[in-house]
Amino acid sequence: MKKLMIVLVSIFLLVSVASFSASAKVTLNFIEVLTSPERTDLLKEIISDFEALHPDIHINLISPPYEQADQKVTLMLNTNQPLDIVEVRDYTVKQFVNNKKLLNLESYLGSWPDSKTLLPITWQSARTVDNIAYIVPQEFYIKALFYRTDVLKELGINYVPETMSELFEMCKEITDPSKNQYGFSFRGKAWELKFSDLISGSFLDDLDTNNIYLKTDGKVYFNDPRAVEGLKLYIRFFEETTPKDAINWGFNEQVNAFVSGTAPLLIQDPDTVGLVDKMLGRDKYMVAPIPVGPSGKAYLDYGFAGLGIPSYSKYKEEAWKFIEYISSPEVNSYFCKNYGPLPIHSVTYKADPYFNTGVYLAWAYMMEHPEKYVFAKYPIDSSKWPGWPQIHEADMQSLLLGKVTIEEVVNKWTEYWQ
Amino acid sequence: MKNKNSKIFLIFLIPTFISIILLTYIPVLRGLIIAFQNYNLFDLSNIHFIGFKNFQAVLNDTNFSFLRILLNTFLWVTVSLFFQFVLGFGLALLMQKPFKGRGLYSGLVFYPWALSGFAIGLIWAWMFNGQFGIINDLLQKIGLIHQNIGFLSDPKYALISVIIANIWYGIPFFGIMLLAALQSVPLELYEAAEIDGAGHFKKLFHITIPYIKPTIISTTLLRAIWIMNFPEIIYGMTSGGPANSTNILATQMINKIYNFYDYGQGSAIGLMIMGIMIIYAIIYLKVTYLKEFEL
Repeated sequence: MKKLMIVLVSIFLLVSVASFSASAKVTLNFIEVLTSPERTDLLKEIISDFEALHPDIHINLISPPYEQADQKVTLMLNTNQPLDIVEVRDYTVKQFVNNKKLLNLESYLGSWPDSKTLLPITWQSARTVDNIAYIVPQEFYIKALFYRTDVLKELGINYVPETMSELFEMCKEITDPSKNQYGFSFRGKAWELKFSDLISGSFLDDLDTNNIYLKTDGKVYFNDPRAVEGLKLYIRFFEETTPKDAINWGFNEQVNAFVSGTAPLLIQDPDTVGLVDKMLGRDKYMVAPIPVGPSGKAYLDYGFAGLGIPSYSKYKEEAWKFIEYISSPEVNSYFCKNYGPLPIHSVTYKADPYFNTGVYLAWAYMMEHPEKYVFAKYPIDSSKWPGWPQIHEADMQSLLLGKVTIEEVVNKWTEYWQ
Repeated sequence: MKNKNSKIFLIFLIPTFISIILLTYIPVLRGLIIAFQNYNLFDLSNIHFIGFKNFQAVLNDTNFSFLRILLNTFLWVTVSLFFQFVLGFGLALLMQKPFKGRGLYSGLVFYPWALSGFAIGLIWAWMFNGQFGIINDLLQKIGLIHQNIGFLSDPKYALISVIIANIWYGIPFFGIMLLAALQSVPLELYEAAEIDGAGHFKKLFHITIPYIKPTIISTTLLRAIWIMNFPEIIYGMTSGGPANSTNILATQMINKIYNFYDYGQGSAIGLMIMGIMIIYAIIYLKVTYLKEFEL
């Protein structure tokens, strides 16, 4: 017993001495949330490059599994766990600021030379809450239209739809259930609202960019007659161009239907490029800008993730050094190229051939045509937002199954957001 | 000497006691408190007691009908439990007698029990897929159906589909437990019964089942509780959809916490689950166990 105690105590002492001597070097704790094996490796690579440049800083990367990551960050921040750099998503930024856990980064951004080339959308995202920059966005997700060049050619289609009605007509034309050939790769569950709002919103030209659910006159858009027309088109997409099973389709099923050719038209984010490249190859598909609606516009929601510094961090300066490094045009472009989403600096789109040719042309085009493509935000900073996607999903599924009428649903949604 | 021994006994109990207090009872107590609070992760600066409002909100939720959830939970537990038990018992009876390759065979049939519930959900989601799923493919080839069925997209089939996956998952548990119990039944009893001219059914109902009854009672009781608290398969297959048709109490609890950030309502549902389980356990034990042994 005594011997065991001695061994235990000496191990304890050794460990504490070791950690004490190591702390002469600053160790930053960095937690990511959009965890995936490839992305974690990429971040580690960037971290080791940074550490080579700054031998006095060591970065400890924490990579919780994607499904639990947001929850974990929330708990760690709320209990003031030692964290110095946190990855914050569009959906969590308001909550962290509410709970006073993020540092105001305006002064750091002001003295950072590279901030001059940040895109307007980067600034807009950085200042999501109270118009103060609490994060530096690292990547964007904007939807575009993926289409199977080989399948469409075989079906005798030789144009790319530029409007929503063209897209619908094309999908309807190629749909033939007896051959298991459908048109549109529909999304029935898990954030399906991003697809229905995209289609019904395109019927309007007066949506509020700060809250995609409001019109510029301050009223909720759902029960506007134009939006109802849009919703009807969305339902027709489901009824006439997709298999009935699509009501239960999430991201995986959508991509699967696209890759198998069952549904050769898919609306998705840029990080799908890497996946489809791997499963299909660049020669079998292409990406086009989102078709515009009868209003001549499309309101595009944009997703983003960025880095912030916890307000209680002990090493704010060192943490900023890293954020500055990873957000530089060179490193950010390298990161996005290898991971898939859209970079944050305007220079990247101009200078890097990777982002101004091929499939990425579609996104470059949308960013350059603000008269057609309007970037608008979901009301993610509203207290009504958490849980809304689930309510919307259940209502939309009831609507598609014919259990409720369009009027009932749009009135309910209007009341919810009033 | 005897006194000293009992004290040492207590010391050995301390670690378990502390860990149970820390990891079970304190969280339960905390959940109990949160259930009566306005506790939303979205704004932690506004936490205060609100009485029974969380319970009212859950009961009157127009987006997720509570009656529907309760009915789903009831079907989910009873149908799953019944078939898991019957098929698991059958499996155990079949494997009671030694045959060539029994070890390998039992390893293979007990394998599902070792899988994670979420993984099972994902596997079955693809099998039941209305477009590419193997079940549709097989039914078409046999000629039973001519058009694919959207098992997970049609509210008529969705609940049945997730229950089938759950049954498949739970059979090995009963198989393992009941097989172990069966092996403890003395063979002399069967021999004596045979001499008395008892057939297979008589032996089953008058020897086997009475002999392993305590195992049956405890396993079905435990299993009912586990099934009720087992949202993973549903999450992997339908996440409660389409249109609330596969939502059970446990999935709705997670939904409230993870998606609505509403720990108050989530805890209220948790308390309801606990309440239902306690009532169930008391009645179940009263009816079966306690009465018989007059405890």
